[in-house]
Amino acid sequence: MNPFALALRNLARQRRRTGLLAAVVAFGFAAFALAGGFIAQSFEGLKEGTIRSVGQLQIVDRRAIARNEETTLEFGLHDAARARGIAARVPGVSSVLPRIDFVGLATNGSKSVPFLGVAVDPEPEAAATYARELITAGSFLSGGGGDGVLLGTGLASALGVKVGDRVTLMSTTPDGSLNAVDGIVVGLADVRIKELNDRYLAAGIGLVWRLLQSPEMVSKLVVFLSPGANENAVARALEDALRKAGYDVAIRHWRELATFYEQVKLLYIGIFGFVGAVLVIIVILSAAIVMTMAVSERTREIGTLRAIGTRPAGVLKMFLAEGIALAFAGCVAGMLFALVIRAALNASGIILPPPPGATHGMPIHVRFYPLAYAAGLVAMVLTMAIASYFPARRASRMSIVEALAHI
Amino acid sequence: MNETSSPVVAAVGVSRSYRLGAAVVPALRDVTLSIGEGEFAALQGPSGSGKTTLLNLLGLLDWPDSGSIRVDGGDAGGLTENLRSDLRRDRFGFVFQTFNLIPVLSAEQNVAYPLLLAGADLDHARERARELLSAVGLAEKTTVRPDLLSGGERQRVAIARALANRPAVVFADEPTANLDSKTAEEILDLMRTASDSSRIAFLFATHDPRVVARARRVIELHDGRIESDRRVA
Repeated sequence: MNPFALALRNLARQRRRTGLLAAVVAFGFAAFALAGGFIAQSFEGLKEGTIRSVGQLQIVDRRAIARNEETTLEFGLHDAARARGIAARVPGVSSVLPRIDFVGLATNGSKSVPFLGVAVDPEPEAAATYARELITAGSFLSGGGGDGVLLGTGLASALGVKVGDRVTLMSTTPDGSLNAVDGIVVGLADVRIKELNDRYLAAGIGLVWRLLQSPEMVSKLVVFLSPGANENAVARALEDALRKAGYDVAIRHWRELATFYEQVKLLYIGIFGFVGAVLVIIVILSAAIVMTMAVSERTREIGTLRAIGTRPAGVLKMFLAEGIALAFAGCVAGMLFALVIRAALNASGIILPPPPGATHGMPIHVRFYPLAYAAGLVAMVLTMAIASYFPARRASRMSIVEALAHI
Repeated sequence: MNETSSPVVAAVGVSRSYRLGAAVVPALRDVTLSIGEGEFAALQGPSGSGKTTLLNLLGLLDWPDSGSIRVDGGDAGGLTENLRSDLRRDRFGFVFQTFNLIPVLSAEQNVAYPLLLAGADLDHARERARELLSAVGLAEKTTVRPDLLSGGERQRVAIARALANRPAVVFADEPTANLDSKTAEEILDLMRTASDSSRIAFLFATHDPRVVARARRVIELHDGRIESDRRVA
C-alpha cells in the first residue's frame, strides 16, 4: 500500500492532533509568506526610492573615485553640456541630469545657517525623481531655476524664512574665494530625513554656476535608464562613448552609492533570518513532539505492520509521508490565511513608524511575493521532514516483539 | 526432536533469555522443534514457559541468543532485516490475541495489505481479499473498519489477512483468548479448515483446552524446555 495513502488515513484518524499541527505549519508558512512579502515590498520601495534619488548610474571624474574633494568641484566634470549630450545618445539611457554638490551658508540678513546644497536642472530633475512629492509649501524649481531656491523645512525654520522670502547663499568657489548670490525661496521640501531636512537646499544649476563661478562644470551626471535596459551594458557603453570624446570618467552604479540601502537590506535579512529560524525551530519542536506521540501511541500497530512483512523502510516512509502530507496541508491552509491577512493589512491603512533617520512613517503594504510563498513551502516541508524523520526512524527500528507487547 | 516429512520452519538448539532489571531470565533453553507442511500444532504450557518466545523466534519476529531458526531448510540467522520481512510476508501469517488490525483500513484493505506489500496489483489484491473475507464469513463486511466489527469478526479478518499470501505457516498467539466460547469454536474450525484445505501449517501458543483439543500435535513447554511433543489422532 502506498505509504501516502496510509499516512493520509492516519492523519484523518487523529483529526485534533492533525489540525493542531497543521495550524502550526499554517502559521509558520503564513509568517514566511507575509514577512517575505513585506520585506520584498520594502526592498522594492527602498530600491526605487534610492534609484529615484541617485539614478541608476552616475558619471563622475575618474579622480573622484579614489579621493574626496577638498574644495567644491575639485574633481568636477568640465564641458558638462557636451558630456550630457553624448551620454543621452547612448542606447538605453532615458535621461541624464547634471548635479553639483556644494556647501555654504544661507543667510536671511541677520542669521546664517550652513547648508548642504545640490544644483539641478529643474524640469528634467522633477520628471525623473520624486522631487515634487517632497514639496510641503510653494513649488519645485521651474524652468531653468532662475534665482529660485528650495529649502528643507528644517533649514527654512532655522532661518525663519518662508516661500517668497529672499536668502543669500554664500560659498567658496573652486579657486578658494568667497562668493554670494541672492535667491528667492520658491518652495519648502521635506526630504524625510531630519538631519538632512535641517540642511537641505536645492537651486537651479545656473544660479549655482554663478555662485561658484564655474560655468559648465558639474559634480556628476546622474543617468536614468529606459525600462529593461541592461545596467552593466549601458555603463560600459557610457564609459566608452565619453572616453572617446576625451572625458576621463568613471561610472558608478547605484548600489555603490546607496550604502543606506545595503545596510537596511542586511538589517531586514538579519531580522527575517532570525524570525525564520525561530519559526522553523517552533515548527520542528511541535512536529517532533506530535510525531513522537504518534509513534508512541501506534507502537503496537508498528509492530503489527512489521510482523506481517512491512520492511523498516516502509514504516519510516509511512511516518515521513505523514509529516510531509501535513506540511502540504498546512501550507495550503497557510496560503489562504496569508492571503486573507495580507488583504486585511493592506486595507488597514496602518502607518509604520519611521525607519532610523526618517521623519515619516510608511503605510504598511505586504506584496504578493511568490518567492516567499515558495520559500515558505520548502521550509515547512523540509522542517516537517526533519521533525518526522527521527520519530519515524525510531519507529522503523523498534523491536517487533516489544512493539507487539506494548500496552 | 520431532521431525516431519517436510519441515517448513524449525528451531535448532535455540535459547533465548531476557533482561529483567539486573536479572537475566531464561525464556527458552536449547529448544529444537520443526513444523512441517499442513501441521495443526499447539504449544501448551503455563505462563512463562516460553510459548510466545518460541512462536516469535520461529516467526522471525525475534532473534535467538544461540541456536538457529531454519526456514524452508535455510538458516535465517544471516538474513538481513529486509529479507526477514520478506520471508514473514511471503511464507508466514500471524494471528494475534488482540487481533492487531490496522484501524484506519477497512476489512478488505486489511486483508489486501500483505498482498499489496508483496507487489500484487490493486485489483487482484481486492479480489483476493474479498474472496478470503467471504471464506471467513464476512462477505458483507468488506468495507467496515475494525472498530465497528465484533471481536470474532476482527479475528476472522485477521485470519483472512494471515492467509492472504498463501503462507506456509500461520503463527497464532492465543487467538481465542479474547473471544467467547462459541466464537472461539468457530474461529478454530475456520483455521482447521484452512489447514486441511490448503496444507497450511498452524502453530498456536495457547492455554485454551479447545485449541489443544483440536490440535493434531501438542507440544508441552515447561521452564523454557520442551517437556513433551505428541501427535494426536
